[in-house]
Amino acid sequence: MNSLDKVLKALQDKFGAGITGHASPLPTRLFINIKAEMVREISNEVVTLGGRYLVGIGHDNIARDGNIGMIHTFGFDKDNFIVHLNAAVPGSNPVMPSITPDIPGAGWSEREYQDLLGMKFEGHPKPKRLVVADDWPADIFPMRKEVPYNMVPPAAEDVAYQLDECPEGCSIIPVGPFHTALHEPEHFAVYVDGETIKGCDYRGFMTHRGIEKLCESQVSYNEVPFIAERICGICGSVHATAYSQAVEMAGGIPVPKRAEYIRSLLLEIERLHSHLLWLGVAGHLIGFDTVFMQSWRVRENIMWLSERITGNRKTYGMVIVGGVRRDITPVIGEDILKVCAKVEEEVKIIHKSITGDTALHKRTKGVGYLSKEEAIKWSLVGPVARARGIDIDVRRDHPYAAYSELQFNVPVVDTCDVWGTLVVRLLEIYESISLIRQIIAKMPKGEILTELSEEIPSLKHGISVVEAPRGESVHFVITGEENRPDRWRVRAPTYPNLQAIPAMLLNDQFADFPIIVGSIDPCFSCTDRVEVVSVTSGKKRIMSKSEIEFISRGNR
Amino acid sequence: MWLTSKIKQVLMVIKPGVVTLNYPFEKRPVPENFRGAPYWDHEKCIGCGGCANHCPARTILIRDICQEIRVMVYDGSRCTYCGRCADVCPEKAITMTDRYELATDDRQDLNESMELFMLTCQRCGRCYDMENVNMIDRMDLQGYRYDNIEARAFIRKTTDRFDPEMLKKTADYKRPSKIGE
Ligand code: SF4
Ligand code: SF4
Repeated sequence: MNSLDKVLKALQDKFGAGITGHASPLPTRLFINIKAEMVREISNEVVTLGGRYLVGIGHDNIARDGNIGMIHTFGFDKDNFIVHLNAAVPGSNPVMPSITPDIPGAGWSEREYQDLLGMKFEGHPKPKRLVVADDWPADIFPMRKEVPYNMVPPAAEDVAYQLDECPEGCSIIPVGPFHTALHEPEHFAVYVDGETIKGCDYRGFMTHRGIEKLCESQVSYNEVPFIAERICGICGSVHATAYSQAVEMAGGIPVPKRAEYIRSLLLEIERLHSHLLWLGVAGHLIGFDTVFMQSWRVRENIMWLSERITGNRKTYGMVIVGGVRRDITPVIGEDILKVCAKVEEEVKIIHKSITGDTALHKRTKGVGYLSKEEAIKWSLVGPVARARGIDIDVRRDHPYAAYSELQFNVPVVDTCDVWGTLVVRLLEIYESISLIRQIIAKMPKGEILTELSEEIPSLKHGISVVEAPRGESVHFVITGEENRPDRWRVRAPTYPNLQAIPAMLLNDQFADFPIIVGSIDPCFSCTDRVEVVSVTSGKKRIMSKSEIEFISRGNR
Repeated sequence: MWLTSKIKQVLMVIKPGVVTLNYPFEKRPVPENFRGAPYWDHEKCIGCGGCANHCPARTILIRDICQEIRVMVYDGSRCTYCGRCADVCPEKAITMTDRYELATDDRQDLNESMELFMLTCQRCGRCYDMENVNMIDRMDLQGYRYDNIEARAFIRKTTDRFDPEMLKKTADYKRPSKIGE
């Protein structure tokens, strides 16, 4: 057993002067201030003690004390606490050692702040651009406070991302930025030897929307949940909840019990729809469209249910700081139970009819293999990790909302492949249904929202982790002076999972590429054409790209 | 194994049959608390600006063009249908309707605008119900507003008294353009 004091003591004993201060605002959170030069040794020690890397948060503090801060966070899943290593480097020369050589999962976090804050990480194995566009000027760091949120620097010609060296004797197959096997703009350069994948380089962030910057400079606390919800079209409620919880932690805002139950209810409904959606997509990616059609048919019941509860199929808009917006009436409660019963029955039918399908086994068993050790090294999360024998689930390990009062199992399998992911997700559907039943049965009466009556104090830190359908989401908030966060960092579950894709692809067949990438469930939301149907005559016509362009420029 | 699976799959498909709706000829009725396009009732609105301050999409703009006339514009092309405006309105002037087929080839179709006649309070310029609002709202509910409606820009500049200078200044506001253009 670890405890906060034990970890702190171990670090103090070992590094003495390297630890300059500490605070523990909650029994489950420990903030340690460290000297930036020693970040690598100290992080290593934290990992040895049992920490799992969550995310790095860079924040511009130049206007206050001339420093840029970098916070590395580690979750201790067995013991339910989170350790933050707080380092600061002067804004004039923001150089600190990289921790990526030992903790590969930190690679993207560090590259991100290289791009966005102009930090330098000495010893980073791949210090390439990650977030900003290739033609973004090298001396403008968008997350610094002096850069306006709406700055549009001029585009440059002839700059392109330099892909990694292709291994000896391999050929490059470019997949993306737009490709039928992908649902979103991203670019993979896959290095193949014959049909076998020997490596892969990834260039993404092509639809980086600057949501963090927007929310840090434009809107106020209670508008952010609605924007947070739009980070992802599938697990929107997760982001809204995670953000709200982070603010509530930082500001010490109490949340009514009933609101916590309603939040859990929404999260489970979302998990149901997301798992069914994924199951369909996975079927589609391996050419098994029956699964696709049937699981989406079942999913539609949940979408309609959400519409009745919240007013919309997706982007529920229910969660705000301090609670939720709409109550669950007894009538809706009945409705939810009815839909659950129906969905459970249908999922069982689907489950039974596909588990024995040898075609499905052939396409998923042993595909996308990544050993448990590798998976831990890459800090994988969610069903992808649980399919590799890693027993983590934030709902159980770091309970939030109403989860500490509910009973559920966390399915874990150790096949280490896409098949395992599929099994984990199917089993989680049943767990979600049982959770929803418990929530409806146990939901206490009372208020659903605590009104913000005072200003939230500034420069307080809050972190919250929420189990999204595809893994854990981490939100970190530093409160600000102008009724909005000073820093808001979002780490979606795809962030660590995508980093491990090159490792998962290694030595697999090229034909399995779509399902391996699809197995981590990267987000997707794209529309590329418009069909116009005349209601009177029933005639259909597909609008061409140039027509859509013509109209969207304000012409008629 | 394989064959039994296939038989089960056939049964799974046959039982529900065809479930696709014949949309757009056949429409599914919307539930009662559906969040469709918001609608403003100008008879009820007192022009407090609460909806504009809380709209996450910043799509409700307010411009005081003189001491007495406040223009409010809702630009539906940016609306996310979250219903926050309807929640915060103290006068229940906003209803979330059941309209959802909003595609159009003219953006103007989505807009709603109101010109409100505002009373002048002799003491503070504008008066609202200050008793029932919390601290954060109170910071927002003040004075005259000068958003730029033409540029669809939420500027959120306020003054205690109507300021023609400010009106002129914000009228020149331009959307960010590329450096060097
Ligand atoms: S529904 Fe939401 S986005 Fe639309 S105007 Fe109202 S507050 Fe703004
Ligand atoms: S919140 Fe209601 S009363 Fe106030 S301006 Fe908006 S519509 Fe009018």
